Amino acid sequence: MKNLKYYISFMLLLGSFTSCEDFVDVEVPAHKTVSATVFSNDQSAQSAMQGIYNELSRADFSGRMASAVTVLAGLSADNLKTTTSSHPELKEFYENLILPSNTNNFNLWSSIYNIIYMCNAVVEGVENSDGLSPEVSDRLIGQAKCIRAFGYFYLTNLYGDVPLITSTDYRTNAVAPQQAPQEIYVQMVKDLEDALELLPLEYPNAERTAVNQGTAMALLARVYLYLQDWTQAELLSNEVINNPNYTLLDSLDEVFLANSQEAIWQISPIGAGNSLTNTPEGSFFILNSPPGYSKPVALTESLIDTFKPHDNRRVDWIGTYQDETTTFYYPYKYKIPYATGADYTEYSMVLRLAEQYLIKSEALARKGDLNNAVIALDKIRMRAGLDPLSSIAPNIQQEALLDSIQLEKRREFFTEWGHRWLDLKHTGKIDEVLQDEKPYWQGAYQYYPIPEEDLQNNPYLTQNPGY
Amino acid sequence: MKNNYTPVYGTGLIMLLLYLCSGQAFAQDTYTLTGTVTDTTGLAIPGVHVQRIGSLTGTTTNFEGNYRIEVQPNDSLSYTYMGFATQIVAVNHQKSIHIQLYPSAQALDEVVINAGYYTTTERERTGSIERVTAQEIERQPIANPLQALQGRMAGVEVVQRSGVTGLAANIQIRGQNSLRNSPNNNGNLPLYIIDGVPINSSPVRSSGLQTNNPGLDPLNALNLANIESIEVLKDADATAIYGSRGANGVILITTKQAKDQSGKLKVNARLYTGAAEVSHKMELLNTRQYIAMREQALANDGVEANEYNAPDLFWDTTRYTDWQEVLFGGTATITNANIALSSGNETTSFLLGGGYHKEGTVYPGDFGYEKATANLNINHHSKDQRLQLNFSSNYGIDQNQLFNNTLVGLATSLPPNAPELYTDTGDLNWENWAWEGNPLAQLEKRQSLNSHNLFSNLSFSYELFKNFRFKANMGYSHLNNEEVLENPKSAYNPDNWNNIYSSSTHTHIKRKSWIIEPQLVYDHHWKKLELNTLAGLTFQKSQDDLLVLMGNNYANENSIGNLTAAEEVRVETDQAIDYRYQAIFGRIGLNWDKKYYLNLTGRRDGSSRFGSENRFANFGAIGAAWIFTEEAFIKNNLSWLSFGKLRGSYGTTGSDQIPDYGYMDTFEPTPGPGGLYPVQLTNPNYSWEVNKKLEAALELGLIDNRINLEINWYRNRSSNQLVGYPLPSTTGFTTVQANFPATVQNTGWELGLTTRNIDRENFSWTTHLNFTLPKNKLIAFRDIENSPYQNVYRVGQPLNIALRYRYLGIDPETGLYQVEDVNNDGSYDFDDRVVVEHLGREYYGGIQNGIRWKNIHLDFLFQYVKQQNYSYLTDYTAPGNYGNKPIEVLQAWEQPGDDTHIQQFSQSSAANSAYANAMRSDLAITDASFLRLKTATLSYRLPIQTKGIETVRIYMHGQNLLTLTDFRGLDPEGGQSLPPMRTLTMGVEFNF
Repeated sequence: MKNLKYYISFMLLLGSFTSCEDFVDVEVPAHKTVSATVFSNDQSAQSAMQGIYNELSRADFSGRMASAVTVLAGLSADNLKTTTSSHPELKEFYENLILPSNTNNFNLWSSIYNIIYMCNAVVEGVENSDGLSPEVSDRLIGQAKCIRAFGYFYLTNLYGDVPLITSTDYRTNAVAPQQAPQEIYVQMVKDLEDALELLPLEYPNAERTAVNQGTAMALLARVYLYLQDWTQAELLSNEVINNPNYTLLDSLDEVFLANSQEAIWQISPIGAGNSLTNTPEGSFFILNSPPGYSKPVALTESLIDTFKPHDNRRVDWIGTYQDETTTFYYPYKYKIPYATGADYTEYSMVLRLAEQYLIKSEALARKGDLNNAVIALDKIRMRAGLDPLSSIAPNIQQEALLDSIQLEKRREFFTEWGHRWLDLKHTGKIDEVLQDEKPYWQGAYQYYPIPEEDLQNNPYLTQNPGY
Repeated sequence: MKNNYTPVYGTGLIMLLLYLCSGQAFAQDTYTLTGTVTDTTGLAIPGVHVQRIGSLTGTTTNFEGNYRIEVQPNDSLSYTYMGFATQIVAVNHQKSIHIQLYPSAQALDEVVINAGYYTTTERERTGSIERVTAQEIERQPIANPLQALQGRMAGVEVVQRSGVTGLAANIQIRGQNSLRNSPNNNGNLPLYIIDGVPINSSPVRSSGLQTNNPGLDPLNALNLANIESIEVLKDADATAIYGSRGANGVILITTKQAKDQSGKLKVNARLYTGAAEVSHKMELLNTRQYIAMREQALANDGVEANEYNAPDLFWDTTRYTDWQEVLFGGTATITNANIALSSGNETTSFLLGGGYHKEGTVYPGDFGYEKATANLNINHHSKDQRLQLNFSSNYGIDQNQLFNNTLVGLATSLPPNAPELYTDTGDLNWENWAWEGNPLAQLEKRQSLNSHNLFSNLSFSYELFKNFRFKANMGYSHLNNEEVLENPKSAYNPDNWNNIYSSSTHTHIKRKSWIIEPQLVYDHHWKKLELNTLAGLTFQKSQDDLLVLMGNNYANENSIGNLTAAEEVRVETDQAIDYRYQAIFGRIGLNWDKKYYLNLTGRRDGSSRFGSENRFANFGAIGAAWIFTEEAFIKNNLSWLSFGKLRGSYGTTGSDQIPDYGYMDTFEPTPGPGGLYPVQLTNPNYSWEVNKKLEAALELGLIDNRINLEINWYRNRSSNQLVGYPLPSTTGFTTVQANFPATVQNTGWELGLTTRNIDRENFSWTTHLNFTLPKNKLIAFRDIENSPYQNVYRVGQPLNIALRYRYLGIDPETGLYQVEDVNNDGSYDFDDRVVVEHLGREYYGGIQNGIRWKNIHLDFLFQYVKQQNYSYLTDYTAPGNYGNKPIEVLQAWEQPGDDTHIQQFSQSSAANSAYANAMRSDLAITDASFLRLKTATLSYRLPIQTKGIETVRIYMHGQNLLTLTDFRGLDPEGGQSLPPMRTLTMGVEFNF
């Protein structure tokens, strides 16, 4: 009897513990959505894809100029120079003396892998879901694979041997060794072929910010060019050129406008989620104040010297800024340097039709079909207001024609996604050209160093030679 | 009846109530005894606890020292009062007993110690518990209570990262247990409990550059003057009852309790005021030396100066500004006022207090910190002591006005000939400034922090049956913090205004938490055996809300901060985090003849931070003590040994200090419209970190307890490390939450020594010394070579290490630093980082002296820390580059044969790269030991005999008055952040 009252009391205590064990169950908070739910219906699955497009405008390699391919590869090649000592890490790219600890380099590398992770998550999420319509499911896988290939294209061209990550499983990915570029290209071709099959011809809406079949084809044409498969490169570029969605615009001032007819794929600044800038290119490059911390780069004299004075691109796409002693040249493809509220008239160009003409031209020239190569090249020259090569050099030889194509590429695509740096490498001219331009140049510097942090965290990675 | 009960609450409660009503009948010959308690001078002692031994019946003396108690003729009564020896007297049919209490030689033993769910005494405790009381901390002119612990406790490391008011201090009890040690994911925070209510101890997030690392202290709004004591629980015996939250120790803060039963209103009023400045500035180059360095660098590089490589040489090369003086050389004033009112009768007492604290900053401009607090404590017990109620509430508001930059970096690196701050017309000068711009413009980026904080607790206790109590603690805490960061155009060069928007960032943080802890307590005596048991439940629910808004494009600078005036308002973050916690816990304490003690504690915990498979875990500990001076053979033979105790404990605790929802695989909205994206990698299967603690200790009192010595040895092992496992970024992210096959061991010796060197009526001198020799070691890490930690940790070494290149000296050909390429592969990477340098504390301690001569009291504390830290050189660019440098660079290498550790002046890429490598070598690790006069107080009690005034005391107090160190940066603890303040205050205290 006496013990009973204690017993009851303790039982009460215990009872209330065990009966409330689900007290510690918490709901998924409002700011999160469980992955399985994301891919359970068409609408939210498409949000996951939209997430990738949005993030491309915030990711370092594509949307943050100080670590973007456009700027870093421009500095490493001969198109851009640093104008201030307040960005020592950018100067490392300009001098080709990049330390493995360079944070811009780490941001470039890691942001591409972050986007690749999102692509892998979409591919896996869609493949494991049975709640999606076949059209949406195809389109999402096609889009994700196309962007994944786009990421790998830059990774392997900038770094050489890189880990090939195609799943979200961090356990295996954390120790993934590097693969040779050939292996990476196999994956890229596979992804792009899949995308060609899965993607519709048209854009999903009035915008050109989502990838479609034309995007995958344009990228694949470039990939075949780099693989030296001239036939495929010519075939695919030609098909893009003949695609009625795309037109070479006569007015150079209209090329970089939002959803321009020349655009194959663009990134909208709206994805960054703020209206602080229009395109990052505009705010980073346009010198409306002296070069300095927020405007640390300008075009090199060597690039300026390649233009004829009457070249429309020299007139429309290059601006000048004069201080007391020096004239600076800056890229003026994008005209709006700062925010204009939520009204975006320019989008960042990723792929455009002009490149396909030059891919076609190069592929034909390599195959020995010089006449047709010149015709394709002249499309670009004439738009710029230059005389056609067919009239000024009708008997041009293959070697000279190939040089002309590269020169045209340099003038056409400066400060657009590192074309010059990659072209110098794929044509094998890099040593020849940069030896004279860059005092510290060594052949090994054509690949950037693998970032120190990742070498530290993945013991199977090896540093590139020369670092 | 035995079989009739059902475990349904209603029935059970009714039965309990029935028993309540039945009561305990007193024996027939009970009668009322009265008496008076006085001290040896005949003065009445109010508040003496008089208790019938063997029962819970007791009373306390009133203001005249009188008491009245129901007794039986054969009872014994005990008379207890802090600082006096307890007396036990047999009633023996007496009607009145007058007692004289003697000051206790053993006062220290009888100090009541708060162990959280129960109390013990200094004499009887089986666990390792440190304690500081109001007297030691209340005069310190600081905002954050825990900073007051610096140097005062063995095994407790309190590091102040900067002199900015309001910043959270870094607290570690017995070393680093968890590999997670970053500001926003720290697995090493102790558990904070204020009056029984657990408080989230993680720093409050702030975005301001002065406050973002690690954030604001969640205890800022607590009034230092209203703290009665702070206890720190360290070993398994003391912490296992806190289960999953006890791994890193527990800090119990007890606010002042209402005790007064005199019926008269008592007033305690205090006021102090003073001034503070930074405790240290660096010695930097003057203009002549600086220009010489710059010109030499260009000459060494063979380069002509132009406006791009040397803008500073085109400025006036004779102008000199002491930027440290201009940017953080000011004097901050401090004012603090407190008042406390208390009164009460035999059953009910209250304490009502209010405080105000204001301090300026050492920066130019109008910035500062203000805090106002109010507190209430009400204490009630029924006449028979069966019912006890205690309510306490502490409310504080504080406001911190700062600006969103540190200025310290600029102050220690701006060229001494940098342009004028103001134009002739008194406006900010923007002419000629290089990229950093006019530093005073940074003051325009105002940061204002406002917080409200409530800690409230109600405890209820009722004696259901004899020796059997039901208790319940109910607590509620609420913290509300609002931060506004202004980013006006005026902070920028007007040349750029056409592409700059005025903007503001608003951060709203709410932390709400309630807790309910019903408990049953049963105590019993069987002759020499005493039993104390406790069982209880915890239910806790906390909600953390975070809302971050941005206002962009204000047309008018004056309206920055008012979101309606912004052209665009954007929600950056909007999240509400729900945390639930549930536990059942218990304790069994046994002692035999006040000689042998055994203490068993345990807890079963569930936390919402783990996936459903791993949600619950068990923790427990055993502690034992033997007071060997109670043994006859020692008592009789070693008369100089007045007290001796051996104690030890072993047990397990855990840690659930990890981010919430980590086990859920989720997507979140992208900042851009219409998108979702994954923001982390997910591992659904992680579980608790387990911390096994072992301790042994010896406590001695010598020569009538004039010398008290305590020596502890401890060994804590933390395994199953739950870490944001660093991953290569090729996985898409850089970390994932996972349990790691690693074990971290903290061992150490702690010593506490208190001596009463002189103890006379007019002159006394006591010394308290604490010393800690900690040793941290990673004892096991399976397969570390193939883990992401291979280049961070070394098995057999402490966690806090730096892997460094080996510094080889200066190359006699180039005059530049050289580090060793160990494997001769022509590059420098982690394979070349062969030098292991230990950072952090090697040993530390404090020595406190209290000297009293008549009415004059002098009290001072020295803190000593032996440690290594990163050299301040790591915060500078290579000597010769733009920007001021420490005076030490004047020893730069000039020609072969020079014996120096500063490389040649140069701003070439080669020089910068050599410098960067050297900063990753052992050259950049230096001794950062220091001896600091942490606090000193000189007080004088006025010999006032005026009626109505009890005491008046005036005092002077100094903080960080003196620091001796070889470290040549700003501060050996904070590195190159704002050094801690040197503060001098004068104060007065009244009691009437």
